[in-house]
Amino acid sequence: MALMQIAEPGMAADPHQRRLAIGIDLGTTHSLVASVLSAVPTVMRDHEGKHLLPSVVRYLCDGDIHVGYPAVAAAGQDPHNTIASVKRLMGRGHGDVQTLAGHLPYDLVPGEGMVRLRTVAGEKSPVEVSAEILRVLKERAVETLGGEPEGVVITVPAYFDEAQRQATKDAARLAGLNVLRLLAEPTAAAVAYGLDKGSEGIFAIYDLGGGTFDISILRLQAGVFEVLATAGDSALGGDDMDHALAEWLMREGGDASDPLWRRQVLQQARTAKEALSAVDETLIVLAPSGRAAHEIKLSRSQLESLIQPVIQRTLPACRRALRDAGLKLDEIDGVVLVGGATRVPAVRALVEASFQQAPLTDIDPDQVVAMGAAIQADALVGNQREDLLLMDVLPLSLGLETMGGLVETIIPRNTPIPVARAQEFTTFKDGQTAMSIHVLQGERDLVQDCRSLARFSLRGIPPMVAGAARILVTFQVDADGLLAVRAEEMSTGGRSEVVVKPSFGLNDEEIANMLQDSFTHGAEDVVKRRLSEAKVEGERVREALITALAADADLLEPAERAALDKTNAALIQALSGTDADAITHAAEAVEAAAGPLVQRRMDSALRRAIAGRSIDDLGD
Amino acid sequence: MRRELYDLMTDSCFQCGAVLGAPPALCAACGAVQPFRADLSLFAVADLPETYDLDVQALRTQVFALQKGLHPDRFAHAEPTARRHSLEWSTRLNEALAILRDPLRRADYLLRRQGVDALGEQVKVADPTLLMTQMIYRERLEELVAARDVTGMEALRQEVDTAGVHVVQRLHRLLATLPCAEPEAAGSAVRELQFLDKLLGEIGRSAESLQNA
Repeated sequence: MALMQIAEPGMAADPHQRRLAIGIDLGTTHSLVASVLSAVPTVMRDHEGKHLLPSVVRYLCDGDIHVGYPAVAAAGQDPHNTIASVKRLMGRGHGDVQTLAGHLPYDLVPGEGMVRLRTVAGEKSPVEVSAEILRVLKERAVETLGGEPEGVVITVPAYFDEAQRQATKDAARLAGLNVLRLLAEPTAAAVAYGLDKGSEGIFAIYDLGGGTFDISILRLQAGVFEVLATAGDSALGGDDMDHALAEWLMREGGDASDPLWRRQVLQQARTAKEALSAVDETLIVLAPSGRAAHEIKLSRSQLESLIQPVIQRTLPACRRALRDAGLKLDEIDGVVLVGGATRVPAVRALVEASFQQAPLTDIDPDQVVAMGAAIQADALVGNQREDLLLMDVLPLSLGLETMGGLVETIIPRNTPIPVARAQEFTTFKDGQTAMSIHVLQGERDLVQDCRSLARFSLRGIPPMVAGAARILVTFQVDADGLLAVRAEEMSTGGRSEVVVKPSFGLNDEEIANMLQDSFTHGAEDVVKRRLSEAKVEGERVREALITALAADADLLEPAERAALDKTNAALIQALSGTDADAITHAAEAVEAAAGPLVQRRMDSALRRAIAGRSIDDLGD
Repeated sequence: MRRELYDLMTDSCFQCGAVLGAPPALCAACGAVQPFRADLSLFAVADLPETYDLDVQALRTQVFALQKGLHPDRFAHAEPTARRHSLEWSTRLNEALAILRDPLRRADYLLRRQGVDALGEQVKVADPTLLMTQMIYRERLEELVAARDVTGMEALRQEVDTAGVHVVQRLHRLLATLPCAEPEAAGSAVRELQFLDKLLGEIGRSAESLQNA
């Protein structure tokens, strides 16, 4: 009886028409792109057959941009214009990266908002640099698949905060990609493992990448991947091992403030670390400018004692994740290793000792995340997959600043998303007409220790005695972990409403201006909202009528039908205009004329329902 | 008349007009996600009978089965209205799982449904026995932390855990028939359970910081 036949969401419209979708692991040191080809998640190779694209971008003075291996090759000679590990700068302000600055050879531009890098091609934000990496991966996919992908799933560390996620999404948009979903890297790894093994149970995903550490606890059951808890450190990874070793090598001489020299030592350190995963001893050759080259012998145990402090820093997060999940060690059915840094034997030994079981390493830890992302992307564009559902959690608590610089948590970390929470506020002074709202993310009690996501003022509160105004602030976190804040002033019945999507691309002032605009234009907005509400209501009435007539037009007398058609025509006419009252009146007229139809339809629906039941009863 | 038209609209699919059964979020006939209904209880959203005696495993299975049809991932390509409805239903299902799976929050929710706010700020805990128990437990925890006694903490954790199990058993008796005939006693049990839950959290955090130190 349906007037419109709507395809069920998530169902492929045509089984022969496979939609192209890709998964991208945008990593600190390497990036990969994968797609499901003939039901198998496959990492795509470049022309030379390589899976990994080094996440390194070099800006040249002729305007050319090199990404990947050519950029890596030049890093030693051209450190200022060759950007590596840009992921660590995503969504970060100048103040955030001061602690990293000693390690980074880049020329950072001081200023508000997200940090910017000075290169020969001008100032670049980490979002732009990341977009260059994504563009190369997209090209690779287009060549391999023979067409533009409809959508992409990009993985982010589970512990990425709001600003870092938003920056990642912005980079994808800049690269011309349609982001279907941001997916937590550990969840992606679990998807790759879970579907591969068909296993069920509780798994810990220990993900030590180049620049980030995540630990996630997931439950896999009946196609549902439920994240129980996640914890980690978004500034801890294999790079820190390299730096620890590089610091040690620096003591052997050379000018520590020379970026070229630093870069050379760092590369030597990385090579030595990787070599020591397979052998027990390696030679490092250092050639400081103006001095003779010399060799340093490094043993695995020396390296392990140098990097031990870095590895140990992963343990508190593991304990916290277990406690947040409400689990004991022996309830973990398996530990999955993800990230190149988990190749280091000392890391594997630590995981085995602290989880009391040997970790799973069947799938290449470099590729597992991209493969999981590809599987999810494939499911999201509607290519039929087994009933796959990923239930993620909020990685960091969201809160508001209260009196005295304290943070009041509104949504605690590890709450399953999507989630919404509302909190009511009131004025604390007589005649107060404005209120400042400061949204923060983090686990600390003090505002200064948390990340500021958005700060805005609610204006236009009608002057009343203290405590009489009622302002409802709603936080909605969507399935990507992105936040929208809505504030409604409810005491007068008229509600001013504003949606903030905090974004690090915008500084606080820009957001404040956007918000102020919305309140200055409050009166205009009220008219607009009334019209849009009237239209929604009018459309709803019109559609209900179409449906009712399609099903039961025969229940009406000709005269009744004529009257109804007349009011309906008037409603359609009103809906095309901009007069809210006219639409509302016309809709009411349709409702009045539809009275007999509604009455008889309900009677007949009731009869059908009763009839249906008796048949069911007989059937049993 | 307006009221009846509204009824007709909410009990039938807004898209195809088919009569909606339970669960109410998706039309069984055409698969359309329905406009969100904030008036439905958490039990109704999850399509479960309203009762305290709830099998958490069955709840999980039920909520995830519904999420498979309603989660925003299923509507990644749908038009904005359907995506908004999906987000609203999916959010509410998560809330249903979070509140109903927890014996404390489930009891509190059922009491609030009958107008009893057991954990509201205006409720003054006047039960002297509970206050005394709280003080004794807190002092014991402080002593254990000072002595860095991890074994003692584990023993205390088990003791508090068992005390919580007993309170939940009491709540099962008090909330066996709804609405609850003894809301005062149930409210007091809810407050006791909240205290024990908080204490368990503190013991866990203290034990963890000893391990991390």
